[in-house]
Parts: sequence; C-alpha cells; structure tokens
Amino acid sequence: MKRRLVVGVAAGVALALGLSACGGGTSSSNNQGGSSGNANAPAFNAAVGKVFNPSDKKGGTMKFAISSDWDSTDPGDTYYGLSWNLVRLYTRALTMFKVVPGTGSQELVGDLAEGLGESSNGGKTWTYKLRQGLKFEDGTPITAKDVEYAVSRSLEKGTLVNGPFYFNDFLDLKGYKGPYSSKGQDNPAIDTPDDHTIVFKLKKAYGSFDYFAMLPSTAPVPQGKDTGVKYKEHPVSSGPYMFQSYSAGKAFTLVRNPNWDQATDPNRKALPDQYDVTIGANADDIDNQLIAGSYQVDLAGTGVQPAALSRVLGDPNLKARADNPGSARLWYTAINPEVAPLNNIECRKAVMFAADKTLYQQAYGGPLAGGEIASNLLPPIIPGHQKLSVYPPGQDNKGDVAAAKDALQKCGQPSGFSTNLSYRAERPKEKATAEALQQSLGRVGIKLTLKAFPTGDYLALYAGKPSYANGNKLGLMVYGWAADWNDGFGFLSQIIDSRTIRASGGNSNLSVHVPEVDKMIDQAVAETDADKRNQQWSAIDKRVMEEAVVLPGVWAKSVTLRGTQATNVFVNEAFGQYDYMAMGLQ
Amino acid sequence: MLTFIIRRLIGAVLTLLVVSMITFGIFYLIPRWAGGSAESLATRYVGRTANPEQVQAAVKALGLDQPIYLQYWNWVKSIFAGADFNTGTSIEHCPAPCLGYSFIGRNPVWPDLLDRLPVTTSLAFGAAIIWLISGVAIGVLSALRRGSFFDRAAMGVALGGVSLPIFWTGIICLVIFSYGLGWTAPGGAYTPIEQNPGLWAYDLILPWITLALLFSAAYARLTRAGMLETMGEDFIRTARAKGLEEHTVVTRHGLRAALTPIVTIFGLDVGLLLGGAILTESTFSLPGLGKYAIDGIVANDMPKVMGVTLLAAFFVVIANLIVDLLYAVIDPRVRLG
Amino acid sequence: MGGAVVIVLLILMALLAPLIVKWLGYDPNQFHTDKIDPNTQQPTSTFPFGPFDPDHLMGVDAPFGRDIFSRVVYGARISLLIAFLATLLSVIIGATLGVVAGYFGGWVDWVISRGMDLFLAFPLLVFAIALAGVIPDQAFGLSGDALRIVLLIFIIGFFNWGYIARIIRGQALSLREKEFVDASRSLGARGPYILVREMLPNLIAPILIYATLLIPTNILFEAALSFLGVGIRPPTATWGGMLSEAVRYYTLPHFMFWPGMAIFITVLAFNLFGDGLRDALDPKTR
Repeated sequence: MKRRLVVGVAAGVALALGLSACGGGTSSSNNQGGSSGNANAPAFNAAVGKVFNPSDKKGGTMKFAISSDWDSTDPGDTYYGLSWNLVRLYTRALTMFKVVPGTGSQELVGDLAEGLGESSNGGKTWTYKLRQGLKFEDGTPITAKDVEYAVSRSLEKGTLVNGPFYFNDFLDLKGYKGPYSSKGQDNPAIDTPDDHTIVFKLKKAYGSFDYFAMLPSTAPVPQGKDTGVKYKEHPVSSGPYMFQSYSAGKAFTLVRNPNWDQATDPNRKALPDQYDVTIGANADDIDNQLIAGSYQVDLAGTGVQPAALSRVLGDPNLKARADNPGSARLWYTAINPEVAPLNNIECRKAVMFAADKTLYQQAYGGPLAGGEIASNLLPPIIPGHQKLSVYPPGQDNKGDVAAAKDALQKCGQPSGFSTNLSYRAERPKEKATAEALQQSLGRVGIKLTLKAFPTGDYLALYAGKPSYANGNKLGLMVYGWAADWNDGFGFLSQIIDSRTIRASGGNSNLSVHVPEVDKMIDQAVAETDADKRNQQWSAIDKRVMEEAVVLPGVWAKSVTLRGTQATNVFVNEAFGQYDYMAMGLQ
Repeated sequence: MLTFIIRRLIGAVLTLLVVSMITFGIFYLIPRWAGGSAESLATRYVGRTANPEQVQAAVKALGLDQPIYLQYWNWVKSIFAGADFNTGTSIEHCPAPCLGYSFIGRNPVWPDLLDRLPVTTSLAFGAAIIWLISGVAIGVLSALRRGSFFDRAAMGVALGGVSLPIFWTGIICLVIFSYGLGWTAPGGAYTPIEQNPGLWAYDLILPWITLALLFSAAYARLTRAGMLETMGEDFIRTARAKGLEEHTVVTRHGLRAALTPIVTIFGLDVGLLLGGAILTESTFSLPGLGKYAIDGIVANDMPKVMGVTLLAAFFVVIANLIVDLLYAVIDPRVRLG
Repeated sequence: MGGAVVIVLLILMALLAPLIVKWLGYDPNQFHTDKIDPNTQQPTSTFPFGPFDPDHLMGVDAPFGRDIFSRVVYGARISLLIAFLATLLSVIIGATLGVVAGYFGGWVDWVISRGMDLFLAFPLLVFAIALAGVIPDQAFGLSGDALRIVLLIFIIGFFNWGYIARIIRGQALSLREKEFVDASRSLGARGPYILVREMLPNLIAPILIYATLLIPTNILFEAALSFLGVGIRPPTATWGGMLSEAVRYYTLPHFMFWPGMAIFITVLAFNLFGDGLRDALDPKTR
C-alpha cells in the first residue's frame, strides 16, 4: 500500500554551480550544452544518468499534474515517493540525497544540517548541527526545537496516520506518545542543547541514522502553527517555495518564499517562480497535455498510460522525449504459508516453478513500461543486488511445468489444488497479473479464484490482516513494494521482518515469518561496514527466496515523458522519478 | 389548496425520513455483511499502529458499538445541530448541517457535497434543457407528420438513441471529438461558471450532448405517443370544428394536454439526475456528486456515500413535490381528490 | 419484427456459446501473446480497423491477446441470463403489488403506492454499486460466479419493481370498474379469485409489453455495474467488463467497438420487439 521511494541523492549540478559561484551564483544563464556535448538534443533516455537540457534560467510557472491524490502535503504525514520528492520544494529536512543523476544520488548530504550526523554511544546517539540563518516563511528563525517538534508530532499515528514508523520504532521514547497525547511532556528521546544542535537518542544502535534524518518528518514545524490534521492545507515553509493556495484533492499553488536564503542552501536552484499542481485530472488527458506541452510533468512518475504508450514508442519525435528509468520497486505476489496446502514448501515451490513470468511482465506493461523480470527481491538499483536463480521458472521464464508437477507430487497434490488470490480492485495491472497467474498456474492444475479488494483497506483489513487472510484462505496476494531509501534495510525491512507483523492489520509483510531471517536482519543492521552489509542483505534475499514465500514478478521501470519546456531534467535515482525540485523552464 | 400543499409537504418529509432510515440501515449493515465489525471499522480510522486499546478507544469515541437506532439518532441530530467527533487524539467539529464526517478524508462531508453540487447541477440542467426542447420538438413534429419519412427516420434514430449505453457513447465521443479532432474538452475538464462562462460551456458541451442524446430519444418517443393519443381525442375535433387554426389546435389544445405526463417525467428525471449522473460523471471524469459517490464506495468511505445518497433522495423528493404541486395547479381534480 | 429475429438469434448464440466458440473462436480466457507487440502491450492486428486476422474474427484484446469474439459470445450468456431473470423477478413483485394496489384501493393502495414512491426516490445505481461491492464469497450454498449472478439478479430485479407496479396498478384501477368484474363480484366471487381469474388474464398484455421493455433497461443496468467494476468478477467475460478494460486502451478502437455494439444491438432488438408488441396488443397507439 505504501509507495515509498526514498532514494535520492540530490546535488550535482546545483551544488557545483552553487559552490563555484559562491553565493548569488549569477553566472550568466547561458546554458549552451557545450561541455556536455548534446545535452540539449532530445533523445530517448537522455535524462537517465545525465542531466537533459541543463540551465540556470529563472522564472516561469511550472505546471505539474497527477491523476490521483497522494496521502498528504503535510511533511509529517506522508509516505509516497512522489511526495518525498515534491516536499523538498517547501520543506527542508535534516539531510537529503545529493541532487545529481546517476548513482551519485545515493549519497546523503546535509540540508537543514551543516553535514551528516555524528554518532556516539555506539551508534545509539546521533547529533546534528543546524546551519545558521535559517528562517520560516514568516521570517521567524528555525531552531532545533522546531525539528524536535516536527519529529514528535509525526509520532502521533492516531492523528497523522500516513507517515513512516522509523522514529516510533527506534527512538528511546520511554512511553512518550507525542505532543497531542502526552500534552505538556518533553520528548525524552530528543534533546536540543542549543538552538542549532539536536540530539537523537535511540533504543538500539542504528548505523545509518542519516537515512532517518532525511525523512520529511524532520522538516521543522513551528509548534504555535501546528493545526493537526489541517496542517496540510498550509505547511509552514522552510524551503524556497511556500503555499499560496490549496484546494484539497484538486489543486495547489506554490510561490517563492521571500525568507529562503539561497546562501544557506547549496542544494537547490529554485528556478521557476511558481508551481501549479493539478490533482485529479484524467490520466489519459494528462498524457495528452504532456505531449502537447501544457503540463511539464506527470507527478505520479509511473509512466504514460497504455493508450499513450504506443504513440510514444511509435513516434520518433515523442520517443526522443521519453525516458525509461528503473526504480527501487518490486511487483510481487506473496505466497501465504498459513493457508493449506501452501504450508508445505513443495506446494509453494510448485507455484514458483509454474508461474509464467513473461505474462507477469506483460501485465505490468512489458519490458519497457513494466520492467525487468525479477528473479529475486532486491531491485537492481539497490547496492548488493544480485541476480539469483532460486526455483527458476524455466529458461525462457515462461514457467517450468515439469518441475512444478514434480513439486506437486512431492507435496501430495499431484493433480493440483485450489486456492484464492487477492489483488487491489482499482489497479488494472494487478487485475491483469491475477488473470495471468490464473492462466499460468492453471496449466499444472492449480486453480485460482480471483478476489478483488479495495485499495484503501487492502492492508488494513484484508491481505494485510492475518486473521482475514488466513481465515479466508488467501493463498496468493498480489502486491508491490518500493524502497524507502536505496539500501537493503530501506527496501526489505518492512516486508520480510516477521516482527513487524501486527495482528490488528495494516501489515506490509504479508507472508514472511522466518526466524532465521530476523536474526540475519539484526546482524545486518548492526554491521558498520557498508560492503559487508550489502552482502548480508543479498544473503537475506536468497534465504527468503529459498523459503518460497514470495514470488517476485517485475523490477519496475516506466516510460516517462519530459515536458517540452522543462530544463534541468534528470532522473533522481533516489526516487526513480524526475527530480521535481531541480527542474526549471525555458 | 392549502391543505393539499401541507399534506404533500408532510408526505415529502416522511418519505425523506424513511429513505434516510433505510439508507442508514443499509450502510450500517453493509460493512458488517462484508465481514467487518466495530473494531475493524475503527481500525481504519486510527491508522496502522493501532494496538487493541487504541482501537477500542476509537470504537467508543466514534460510537461504533452503539446500537443502530442510537447511531441513527446521533446522525439525525448532527444534521440539525452539528456534531463533534472525537478521533482519539483531537476533536473535529462538524458544523450543521452535518451529513456525516469522513474519517478517511478527515473532513465533514457537507462542504464536499456543496463543492461538487454545481458540477452536477450544471450537467443536469444543461442537458435537461437540450433534451427537453429537442425531444419534445421532434416528438411533436413526428406526431404531426405521422407515417412520413421524417417520422420514420426520427423514430428510428430515437430507438437507437435509447438503446445506446451511455458509457459507450461517452467514451467513443471523447475519443473522436476530444482526443481525435480536438473539438471538445477532454475528460475531467470543468470550469465553474463564475470563472469563465464560455469555458464552462465548452467543457460541458460533450457531456451535455451525450446525456441529452439518451433522454431526448426517450422524450421524442414519449411525446409522439402522447401527442398521437391526444390528437385523436374528441376535444381536438371540436376545436377544429370550431374553426380554430391548425397550429392553435396543436399548440394550445393538443400540446398542453399531451405535455402533462411529459412534465411529470421531466421533473422526476431531473431530480434523479441531480442525485448524481454517476455513469456520465465517471465516463467524463467530472468532479460531481456521482463521481464522489463512486470514490466513496471504492474507498469504503460510508459517510461520503450516505451523504450523497441522502442528498440525491432529497432532490428526488423535492422534484416529486414540485411536480405534484404543478399538477395540482394545472388540474383541479388532483387537489380535491 | 426484425427485433424478434435478432432476439431469437441472440438467445441461440447464448445457449450454444461453447459450440460456436469451438468452431469459430478460442477459449475466452486463453491468452494469445503472439499477437501482442511486447513493448507496447497492444495487439498488432486491430480488425476491423486494421489488418484482418482470420483466426480472430473480432481481433484480440490487450494485454494478453484473448479472443474478443469468444468473449462477446460468452458475455451474451451472462447479460441475457441476468436480464431475463431480473426482469422476471421485477415482474412478479411489481405485477402482484400493482394488481393488489389497483384492485383493493384504500389503505392497501396507499401503502403500496408510498412504497413505490420510496423505491423510485432511491438512487438505485449508488445502492446497487454499494451492495454489489460487498457480496460475500459464499452464501446460500453458492459461491463464486454463481453467487454473484444470483445476487445481481436479486439486486437488479428487486430495485426495479416500481416501474411495472405503477403501470399495472393503473391498468388494474381501470379494469376493476369494468362490468365483468362487477358481475363476478355479484356472483359472490372473493378478492383473490377475481384477481387471478378475471383481472390477471386481461393484464397479461401490458405485463408482457412492459416486461419486454424492462429487459433492455436491465441489460444496461448489468452492463453499467460490470463497467463500474462491481458486476461479475474477472476473468469471466461480460460486455460491461470488456468495455471498462477497453477504456485504458482507447487507441484500440476494435476493443471498445465490439462489446459496445453487442450491447447496443441486443438492447435495440428488445426495444424493437417491445414496441412491436405494444403496437400489436394495444390498439390505442395505432
């Protein structure tokens, strides 16, 4: 349910220019692509791994559009990758990913903070120093207390229901619940010895806390202006832009924040004067307007609709405006070991062998618009990724019927069995996946009954609720997951750690409860050497695959279009989308 | 006359009450039929970390464990007096008339309804005018030229018109006229009339025509049938015998009599349409009441659906009332009988 | 009576679907990925607006290349079955209540008429969608498709009884003043006897007419429910469901054309037939 793409390393062009021009970088806005060769000539994938149409030209109104709303514009209440991408326009978190194309974006740099955090106490205490001269949109200075308040309010999952849980899980809260529930109390896990220093105290050591510091939950919120669930209507800006108007579910406008000081912000160029965001427009219409040039970006970042796809791929002019970025997202189907006969590993193996992965890929849109056929969990963009071959579905990926039948024999179901498959009703690609699996598994006698559930409740009440899933014999559950940030922990922790499973529902881990895996996770979390850690995550990937509780489908890719007026377009690998903050207008 | 009006008013209010009770009852039962319980309903409202105590607290705070008549009574009260909803960590005020509070969207339903009402009214009234005029005109002409080529052609087209599924016609029109030729606005476009009347009409012209096509075909058939029946009556012959001009006979005597059932049905159709032209709004992605209802159903957000259903029923009842009153004005037998 | 011919053909098609499909088409759920361009996920042949493919009379759908002709033929079964049975239900409820209301009058009439007003005041589609969306998987000993079909028949049939009831009530009102009813009464006949032996035979005509005219409405209703995603679940082919899938691929006209055409022709046929019936049986509209 949560589409989080937290992977971003921002910086790069902006950083380079900022540093070289040393404050008020007004190197004349000639953006001749001289040095970068044909960086201005449109070509397919011109924005992947490099910057397309680099520019410093300021001005203009950037028009964004998206067909369905995301959870919230409140930085403490949001879990969508596109939101984490967009939110950097009007908020600044402690750290951020470098704003550059390619793998450089895996590196974190300081945003509100001068640099990365300093750890002490064996990785249980983390200290950040804020920059000088930071101000909110109304001119009041930003202090460490504002960051503390922001993190504390984000703990209140009863009010701000959408955001991530990392602070709830890792901070040493000693029973503190947040500024609404524990009124008047001080957050014992966060200290602010002075206005520019903030100290986080954790329950258990975590070596990569800088990733937590990157979360929008650390974007400062002035306590006096916190309006709870209404805060999303006008979050107080700490970034280069602020809200001018907001119409829930329909549109909002951002204009320049006069109190943002470029000198304090080496990561942002802030080129456009204004951003107009339209929500709820018809998806096909967005594609048409994108092609025509009235919108510059489809915020969803998941690519053009099928109707536009053939147009884009068939027309050389349009194809030259398209990119095919990958992202840290896996579309997969959980195989529930609590539902007979899938409690027998051989029956689960039969499912893995029999599934036709080319159809799975087709369901999501084919090799370009859907993605690469996945052989295991970790997507290629995650460091430590390896292509494994555990219970392979044949050489051509169309399913190994013989091996499947063999496995069925071994688990005592030689003529197959019946079970239910769940998917989210409003997602046509998941429906197609369901039909594809029904066909391919049917070849060996595994009969699937397809059940659709509403997306909003899928995790809370159905597939993600063990009592429902097991009681209603949901043997297979179609789902997908994107990394919170691009490393093993950021991708896997929420979907394979059995300790995250709650009986009350809302789980993202649908089928993995392997104690050995939990132990391996703890080891990897404590490992301080990055290379060793990546290897350990790959080993965890293998172990989960061997348990046959996850059928990986596709490592997601999309075919996205660049707007006709957009400059500085590049795919920020942290999000797997165009960097919405770096773009400008011609 | 006064007693007639009062009786009708009371009837209308009673109908609304019963409709609201049945609606509430069904929407109370639906989640429970789907396997939900007070706890699972509350879970949705308190987010993912909910431990059992939090869920219980929410159940109590939202009153989800109260018997149905109490919940209904609270709901009725809130329509007149507003209500406060304790979500466990904050108190949300829902001002009167509070047709419900959506916990998924975290806002009262009524302002959303008001927001979307202009879209649906624009759609309904625009199309209504088009279909009434075109349908009646064609029907009258057909009746007068009965058996002629025009009559046969018109009725043939009309028969086709009532047989077309609107979601099919709508999409095909969109593909041809909006995406293909670019003559009309694409799906989802809507500009409020106060912002730009020209653009407002441009955005709605395709939905109007598509919707009107269906209805005008039906009205043409109805009008023709009604006119034929009326024109065969004795009083028409008398009027002609009296020496009145043909067009006076047709319009003043024939049309007037034939139109009364048309007007009744028109009132009802518009009333129903105001409740949300669900298929049209879905097809054209118009942000009206119908689409709001669908979004609510899809998200399992019952307060939204209840709000729309009640508003829709309200419109139908009002339309019925107006039509009845008009009938009484036109036909004295009705108010005495 | 072209309408009647088409209807008979349709019914035949629905009944003989498996045979037809065996001769002329493929299994409606079978994938033909060889006909799909892998990159765009769309068929390479789009008859009737593109190259003709003798294997697939109506082309294939996206993204898996299922044979549209077979799916349309099978879809006919569902649409006709649901429409017929739902109409039957509406007629049974509506005619009974209408006759009772019209004949007995008084408070019985008042109660039933208020009931009619009530049902007409409901936004049916909203209700039907909400109800159809929560159909459980197993109930009354049925499950899966069979259960959904039964429940859909019930939902559609139940909400539409007012239409028939109102008309029959009107007819009954005028009938009861006729002499033969009086004669029967004076001979000592009681209510139920009169209803069944005297009134009903004379009501057959309007019942038949309006039932025939109700069928197309129900066909559209079911198609609408399938279109909105709450009717019969995939992968079973339904005309409405095929249309809703086709919307995503609106650049493939054939995908949208055939199911819509099927609905249109079926509805048209019933309307024609119903009109013809009315002309034949009801002299006033001559």
